[in-house]
Amino acid sequence: MRRFQLRWILPLLAAALAGALGASRPLAASPPTYRLIVNPKNDATGVDRRFVADAFLKKITRWPDGESVHPVDLSAESLARARFSEEVIRRSVPAVKSYWQQLVFSGRDVPPPELDRDEDVIAYVLRFPGGIGYVSGAADVDRVKVVTIK
Amino acid sequence: MLVFAGAMMVATGPPGAAAAADRPDGGGLPAVDIHGFVSQGAIKSTHYNYLVNSDRGSFDFTEMGLNFTTQPTDKLRLGFQLFARRLGTTGNFSAKADWFYFDYRWRDWLGFRGGRVKLPFGLYNEINDVDAARTPILLPQSIYPLSSRDFLLAQSGGELYGYVRMGNAGALEYRLYGGAVEVDIPAQAGSPLQITAVETPYVVGGRLLWETPVEGLRVGGSAQWLRLDLNVTAAMMPFTYQIPASLWVSSVEYAAHDLLLAAEYGRWRSSAESSNDKLSPSMGNVTSERFYVLAGYRFARWFEASAYYSLLVKDADHPDGVAANQHDWALTFRFDINAHWLVKLEEHYMHNAAALDPALNGVVPADLYKLDQDWLVFLLKTTAYF
Repeated sequence: MRRFQLRWILPLLAAALAGALGASRPLAASPPTYRLIVNPKNDATGVDRRFVADAFLKKITRWPDGESVHPVDLSAESLARARFSEEVIRRSVPAVKSYWQQLVFSGRDVPPPELDRDEDVIAYVLRFPGGIGYVSGAADVDRVKVVTIK
Repeated sequence: MLVFAGAMMVATGPPGAAAAADRPDGGGLPAVDIHGFVSQGAIKSTHYNYLVNSDRGSFDFTEMGLNFTTQPTDKLRLGFQLFARRLGTTGNFSAKADWFYFDYRWRDWLGFRGGRVKLPFGLYNEINDVDAARTPILLPQSIYPLSSRDFLLAQSGGELYGYVRMGNAGALEYRLYGGAVEVDIPAQAGSPLQITAVETPYVVGGRLLWETPVEGLRVGGSAQWLRLDLNVTAAMMPFTYQIPASLWVSSVEYAAHDLLLAAEYGRWRSSAESSNDKLSPSMGNVTSERFYVLAGYRFARWFEASAYYSLLVKDADHPDGVAANQHDWALTFRFDINAHWLVKLEEHYMHNAAALDPALNGVVPADLYKLDQDWLVFLLKTTAYF
């Protein structure tokens, strides 16, 4: 009886382990929640995360080559925005909104434009040599340059 | 201010009609960003009148603002904000130019603002009247007293500013300013001293904040020097008061994801030199001591809570007594109904009464020590903004 159980339990455990490993593969292969994009004229292939955060908070306004930074956001309800905000800016979307309320009503600056669709963000980034934005992982990014975050 | 606003309109075209440099649909002229807010609050306190006639409950707590900002070039920005408020007997809905400026940002590490600009004193002075930009209804009143808004909020002059990233050492943000402060003559009904004019020959100061390598953690300090010149009449006799003051505050803040922790400690020193000591004597240097610690957390998009403890000691050399200090424990709940409307509830437990206005409470300052030690303040406030 004991041998019978082991004969069935071991393959079941192996199958479960294989299933667990297999389940992680599609996750790793699935498109990311967002992708960071810049204008094709931008030489950068990877951008420092803090630089990106500073650019979207308008603490810095120039790329290293002197070109003006033109950040653009997706709408506050976007899943890509939520993930980008947490991972890159390290603040939630409402916290970033609060940051902009402080600057708007103290006369310091205004937030980047908020656009509803990935295509609009891509069009905006294409308009400015220093454009930078993010789009959902499923967006068609053939016309812009996707950069990695270091 | 009207000249400035007119120049801005000529430069940019009418609001809403112009196209923006940053507008997604393109266009030749810069856009005008328009933002505004309206806040209405209610205050009820036990025992005493706090800020307004709150003992019986008061709705005299209203703020509204409308601002216009445009960026004609990558380096140049123009803006102005109209602001009106009523807090008890102050303000009375008189619309004023809260701030107006031109801002030339030559490099990230060096920019210049000219006009009437808000004072960067401590972490939150610039948003002392912007309800939507914070969780508490009342910022810790030891460092950000609403009653001193006219002195502390903005100055007319110039400001140098910059932001310098220092690799792995974090970043520095600095601001240096100088100019003058416009002060309204306060209501003085029943006072034996009548102030007929207030001028500030100068206000200078600065703020330095270090964004440490620990992301979200910044520390720094602010300092300010100013002088108030008062023309006063007592018993039909005119005389003057000169009040030089120096203020500093040190700050630490940690803001990450939905958490905010902050603490500030400062000392403010002032004296008063009378031109007629027989009528109203001069006063030597008095240094007040101020401190608070605050914690806030956003539990959901629609709900935040914060709590703070704030301490005011009016004279650091004589810190004890009902009239000498005030401890303030505050708890706030903020509900964001939607992206443009919020409601807040706040409760304060007060110990001692140093921040009470004697005139508002029908006592002379010398009698403040007779007041009860423990009292409460309840606030409700709603703000619509865009």
